[in-house]
Amino acid sequence: MTTPLPEDDELLAAELAFGLIDGAERDAARARLTRDEDFARAHARWQDYAAAMFHDPGEAPRPSVWTAIEARLPANDVARISPLRWWQAGAAVASAAALVLGVVAMQKPAQVIVRVPVAQAPAAPMVAVLTGKTGLVTVSYDPATGRMTSAASGLSLGEHAPELWVIPADGKPRSMGVMKVSAPGWGKVPSAAVSALSAGVTIAVSVEPIGGSPTGLPTGPVILTGKMAEAT
Amino acid sequence: MISDTESLALMLQKVRDGDRLAFEEVYRRTSVKLFGVCLRILPIRQEAEEALQEAYLSVWQRANTFDASRGSAMTWLITLARNRAIDRLRAKGKIASAPMELADEVADPEPDAPSRIEMSQDEARLAHCLGTLGGGDAGLIRTAFFDGSTYADLAARASLPLGTIKSRIRRALLRLRECLS
Repeated sequence: MTTPLPEDDELLAAELAFGLIDGAERDAARARLTRDEDFARAHARWQDYAAAMFHDPGEAPRPSVWTAIEARLPANDVARISPLRWWQAGAAVASAAALVLGVVAMQKPAQVIVRVPVAQAPAAPMVAVLTGKTGLVTVSYDPATGRMTSAASGLSLGEHAPELWVIPADGKPRSMGVMKVSAPGWGKVPSAAVSALSAGVTIAVSVEPIGGSPTGLPTGPVILTGKMAEAT
Repeated sequence: MISDTESLALMLQKVRDGDRLAFEEVYRRTSVKLFGVCLRILPIRQEAEEALQEAYLSVWQRANTFDASRGSAMTWLITLARNRAIDRLRAKGKIASAPMELADEVADPEPDAPSRIEMSQDEARLAHCLGTLGGGDAGLIRTAFFDGSTYADLAARASLPLGTIKSRIRRALLRLRECLS
């Protein structure tokens, strides 16, 4: 058994757990957690009490919350891959088929490497490679014309259609339209989505009824995600 | 057999190693409760949903800071969700600043007896002990905790010296501990 903390220390642990102190006082108390076992234990106990303040059993959030969380996971962030590896990958698989899309993509286990070979367009086009458990989708978008191209491989949804979404920082998906599975498609991006399109935003594909989501928001599972990158 | 609490802790350790399936499982098991936490602080659903998103992104990024020897996984998750919700309150300049009455007669604004049957043991015990405080102290502690108000915020809202607020809450916290231990 541990000896009880002096009253002042006990109270400091409580004040930290309940968020009653701020500034330097809070910082000092936090720092103490790492070097004072007894204090840390008392703090953990008070945190349990504080957590028990939320006695509401809660309620289920809408499915779109999970969709947005998943789309924002950093593992989808192609920018994390070092430039060197982009180049290596580009040299390795500069296949003609991929060049049609302006994108060279190579899939490694659990990782995608993207290389955008030539892109001297006036208003930097953007590209995204979307990955998931199965299949691959590439999307390119040219701000100069407001048009995008999309192509899928290894995707088979049967009685459903893949719908493309742009999910900017606010987490609200905007539809970019339903895409074709069988052949690359071209199209104009809806204006609500255009304003959300920029380098770094998440692009996702969800499974929807033929013709697209009836609600204007994803209704089926998100199966592929990726990030828009500037094709410069 | 692994208890729910233990396996949630194990799950968080997997999340730390970048395991997405474990992350999904953590979400599946805890999002109902954590959404309740966010809603308690941010009654507007959209804001609560945004805070919930932030909370789970923090879970993903900071699972390495969870230390099973230092406390329960659920407490860690609830604390994180509460902090993200309070961050959002602050970011929107919505930290309560309305004047506050501290009269002793002020009734506890949260009568909790009717719903106690749905509470966990810890929750029911805390609700009981808060109920024994009297004199509006339970309401004061709840206000501080759910509004994200520090001693300084509370003193400003009640137009009282910092020391007065502080000693009143400290007395209440000590009584709370006495009841809980």
